Amino acid sequence: MRTYIDQIRAIIWKDLVLELRTRERIAAMGAFAVLAAILFNFSIDTTSTRPEDVAAGLIWMTLVFGGLLGVGRTFYLESQDNALLGLLTSPVPKDAIYLAKTLANFALLFIVSVLVLGVFALFFGLDLGANVGGIILVLGLGSLGFVALGTLFAAISTGTTMGETLLPILVFPLLVPMVIYGVTSTGRLIAGRPFDEVEGNVRMLGAFAVAALAAGAMLFRYVVED
Amino acid sequence: MATAGMRRGGTALTLVGLAGLVFVYWMSFFWVSTEINQGVVQRIFYVHVPAAWTSFMAFGFSALASAMYLWLRDDRLDRAALCAAEGGLVFGTIVLTTGPLWGKIAWGTYWTWEPRLTLTLLLWFIFVGYFMVRNSTEDPEKGKRFAAVVAIIGALDIPFIHMSVIWFRSLHPEPVVAKPDGPSLPADMLTTLLTSLAVFTVIFLGLFLYRYALEGLRAEADLRSRSTAT
Amino acid sequence: MILFRNRVWVARTVLACALFLLATAAVGAQEIQGLPRPTALASQSLRPYWHVFAAYAIVITLIGGWAISIGRRLRDLEDRLR
Repeated sequence: MRTYIDQIRAIIWKDLVLELRTRERIAAMGAFAVLAAILFNFSIDTTSTRPEDVAAGLIWMTLVFGGLLGVGRTFYLESQDNALLGLLTSPVPKDAIYLAKTLANFALLFIVSVLVLGVFALFFGLDLGANVGGIILVLGLGSLGFVALGTLFAAISTGTTMGETLLPILVFPLLVPMVIYGVTSTGRLIAGRPFDEVEGNVRMLGAFAVAALAAGAMLFRYVVED
Repeated sequence: MATAGMRRGGTALTLVGLAGLVFVYWMSFFWVSTEINQGVVQRIFYVHVPAAWTSFMAFGFSALASAMYLWLRDDRLDRAALCAAEGGLVFGTIVLTTGPLWGKIAWGTYWTWEPRLTLTLLLWFIFVGYFMVRNSTEDPEKGKRFAAVVAIIGALDIPFIHMSVIWFRSLHPEPVVAKPDGPSLPADMLTTLLTSLAVFTVIFLGLFLYRYALEGLRAEADLRSRSTAT
Repeated sequence: MILFRNRVWVARTVLACALFLLATAAVGAQEIQGLPRPTALASQSLRPYWHVFAAYAIVITLIGGWAISIGRRLRDLEDRLR
């Protein structure tokens, strides 16, 4: 158990250090988020809709699309110089590799999701008030579920000839429950409703994330074998 | 040869099923009484519901065979999963086209985000992904594993999708057959529906065997070309 | 089955049938224009029938299409094996 956690920690550390040095994925996702917020701002007719009514949906869409951008490249760097083979032939169990990759992705996406929230709050004039902690919790659970599925399918799409174009086709239908629960609870929290009202949704988001993590850890070994 | 037998059996079952389908059409046009509230359009229900049942059964079977394939690594399981997935897509397409045709008359709109219709649509797309993954790998063995993972994750996601879309919105008529206090359909409508259910199942089984024979022949051909190549 | 082996013949027949139907429909449309327009109620009451027929036709087309596509793939494979 001890070594298992150490192994996970080592891989996360390696990924985050690589990311810190290149800042490739976080920069791409961050820039995407800000630019998407700008474009979304012009996609709303403010004479007929109030920006704060649609902000929750737009935040989640930005998160999903921006997340795909970063998660799709999880195995890109390693598959380029055959480092993935080294990682996979090492004695580290496959599920540890999956969990480590997922958690590293989660760290990136969580930072981006907080950034997205900030950008939208600024551009759309949202008054988050006392609910800011609740919203961040919802976004965090959503990001965790997203990367749990995204990392697994990134490994699959990297192995195909279609590459990253396949990723949204595989992941979007699976993400529907997450988007439904995430958007409604974020929307209500932005509207200033108490956290109790969305507690059921938040629990479902958590269940989705845990189930996705468990399924991914179980099935990852079949994706990367040989 | 097992493949030839399966092909014959599949053809025979399909022909029986198609004859049954003609009978179901006759029942539904000339025999069953018209439903009092919805009128004629309710007759779509006799093909819509059996198609939905068949496609869900096919997708479920495909996911189960995929899981067994990852465990036992028997190519026959992968072939079964592939054939069932193809059938599921065909019957799913029937569900997704006949549903809106009924909805336009009964609800006044072709499409609503009704839970079961939404679930069918998403499942349909998940299995489109299944085929895309399968066909876009250079190594067929890899494609089989990837596709199996897609099918399993898809099946595991069903309860979540189901709960969330129900929570999101519900307009669909309540279940009328599988209810605790017995079916609420008049007897002749129930007979038509059950006959149709049986017929659709037989057609699916027949075509599944027929399709499976094709996959078996393809595997034999691959084996032969490999042995002549070396 | 001999009939279906000749694909050119099948294609030509289908095309001819389609053209015939199109021409009839065009003539029919001309004829109808001279007639009084059906009231909204009349067209409304026939609409469900069209939907039922369309749904039943879709069922036949898709199931038959799948069967034919399997048969064709089987035949192509056998031809290649021979």
